[in-house]
Amino acid sequence: MSSPTHVHRPGLDLSRMLSDRRLFLVLVTIATGVVMSLLSPFFLSVDNILNITKFGVVIGLLALGQTLVILGGGGGIDLSVGSMLGLSGICMGLMVNAGVNVWVAAVITLGIGLLLGAFNGVLVTVIGIPSLIATLGTLYAYESAAFVAAKGVTITGFAQAGYPFLGQGKILGVPAQVVLALIPAYLLVGAMTGYHRFGRRIYEVGNNERAASLVGISPARVRFVLYGISGLLAGLGAVVTNSWLLAARPGAGGNLVLQTITIAVLGGTYIFGGRGSVSGTLLAVVFIVVLSSGLQLAGVDQIWQLGALGALLVLTVMVNNLFTARSGSR
Amino acid sequence: MAIYVFVLGEMIVFSVLSANFLTAANLGNIALNAADLALIAAGMTLVIILGGIDVAVGSVLGLLALISGTATLAGVNPWLIVVLAVVLGTAIGALHGLIVTKGMVSPIIATIGLLAVWRAVHFSLWGGSDLFAPPISLLLVERFAGIPGVAFLVLVVYGGLAYVMRFRSFGRNVYAIGNDAEAARLAGIRVTRTTIGAFALLGGLVGVAALVFMSRTGVIQAYSGQGLELAVIAAVVVGGTSITGGRGAILGTLGGVVFVAVLQNGVVLLGVPPLWNGLLLGAFILLAVSIDAIVNRRAARRERAL
Repeated sequence: MSSPTHVHRPGLDLSRMLSDRRLFLVLVTIATGVVMSLLSPFFLSVDNILNITKFGVVIGLLALGQTLVILGGGGGIDLSVGSMLGLSGICMGLMVNAGVNVWVAAVITLGIGLLLGAFNGVLVTVIGIPSLIATLGTLYAYESAAFVAAKGVTITGFAQAGYPFLGQGKILGVPAQVVLALIPAYLLVGAMTGYHRFGRRIYEVGNNERAASLVGISPARVRFVLYGISGLLAGLGAVVTNSWLLAARPGAGGNLVLQTITIAVLGGTYIFGGRGSVSGTLLAVVFIVVLSSGLQLAGVDQIWQLGALGALLVLTVMVNNLFTARSGSR
Repeated sequence: MAIYVFVLGEMIVFSVLSANFLTAANLGNIALNAADLALIAAGMTLVIILGGIDVAVGSVLGLLALISGTATLAGVNPWLIVVLAVVLGTAIGALHGLIVTKGMVSPIIATIGLLAVWRAVHFSLWGGSDLFAPPISLLLVERFAGIPGVAFLVLVVYGGLAYVMRFRSFGRNVYAIGNDAEAARLAGIRVTRTTIGAFALLGGLVGVAALVFMSRTGVIQAYSGQGLELAVIAAVVVGGTSITGGRGAILGTLGGVVFVAVLQNGVVLLGVPPLWNGLLLGAFILLAVSIDAIVNRRAARRERAL
């Protein structure tokens, strides 16, 4: 896979190439695209392809945060990504309806997301609650707080000051939310994990916590930042969602957590941390979007799509284990 | 078992704040409403002590309740339905265990995926409208001296599992695997078989819980059981079982279940809008686990200082 500690052996190694998740994802995405275009001639039209990219934005932002938290190791997982999106989106709606300028409210919403993520970080790294339980607790708490704050109803009133452009407009034919939110987020986080010192620390902490702390890296501090970034990305997801739907629903993040974990794992992120990549996650987002819009075109029900996703998650990990077990035994 | 102190405190607070809390009728309601949660939490305790987790229990409960409800309406013999629910549940649990052990998929990933798979199966079998089913047996929901019949079933399950975990080799193996699976393997413990056994046992209990759920609510919907896994895991963890495995006790979980059930009931009695439920439950889980984490760290530090 793709961690910087990976040692490249010279020569062509077929099983290694096959076990690189990114190549695998490109191949299955192309295969899925071909199958879908046989089902519907519209599928491979430029218009349709550009149009479906926007279904990858919100889920892609959340999956990016999920990838980072898992990469940091120590059993890290963020079950609260959807609830953070819901709660920060509702906060934005309340601000806008209280007369705050919609763009100012959007910036504050990013801050709220960051705070919610940082609170997860405090629970895990300062108090020492296992990640699964801490974010399970905040999954409940944030979602319920969103319902309480919104009094259980959908909040509207976002159509002002050019804000709908973010979620509904296009730039050179590409949905604005892809250009303005998804691509910048992936470029920034990708640059950070690939080239910045902090990115290297994430892998070091994820791979071997004790070794990292012996060379002076604080695993707690690194992980705290990762939870914060996950919250920030959820806040950005809320800003995009509100602009797209022009409405904030308290339960907006409901089913998203399963998808974010599926995408991260499909993209090659090792569930115990230290291995994985931002580019892998992006390719997994592309694959999931192609798959689910194809299933949509074929008239497959949403719940079946979710079921297919679940089966895919389990099968991917099993097949992957088969490969690693084989290449390990040689 | 610190959890019983929390339960006591919680009960005192609710008794003071609401005159209706400490009545036989209300306590009976709590016992009835928490029965399916209690049954699943007992099995979940074993799986978590072993170092696993199963977040698909809510989906499986919904599916099994739907199947049992359909069979009841079709006039199938109730005993046959009980056998069907338990056997199906056990088989599904064993499948989960198989995927975790032989498939080498981490339990959280495997069961997050299976959660969606079983929900999709449930949805495909669901006829598109709510299914109203009569109780599988009135013994479960009738009250004897104010105590619902199902409470006795719950107590028998907890008593039996507490005995197994303390005095039988299966129980000791579960703890050993949770502490260090590799060491357990080297010591000759059949890790795969024990793991599959624990998941299967949980599945069987989900089957029983599905019958209780169906008998208690009388209706099965497309999303029956959704989110139940969260309350179950909360009860187990609040009851003192370590989420990382190796540590925990069945009777602690019973306290955790009572804690969660009393909280949900007391909140309703106090007239807090139901929208607040998740917030309070989440906050109490975090509070209880934080206290546990801080106390444990203190204890560890003191041990090191000696």
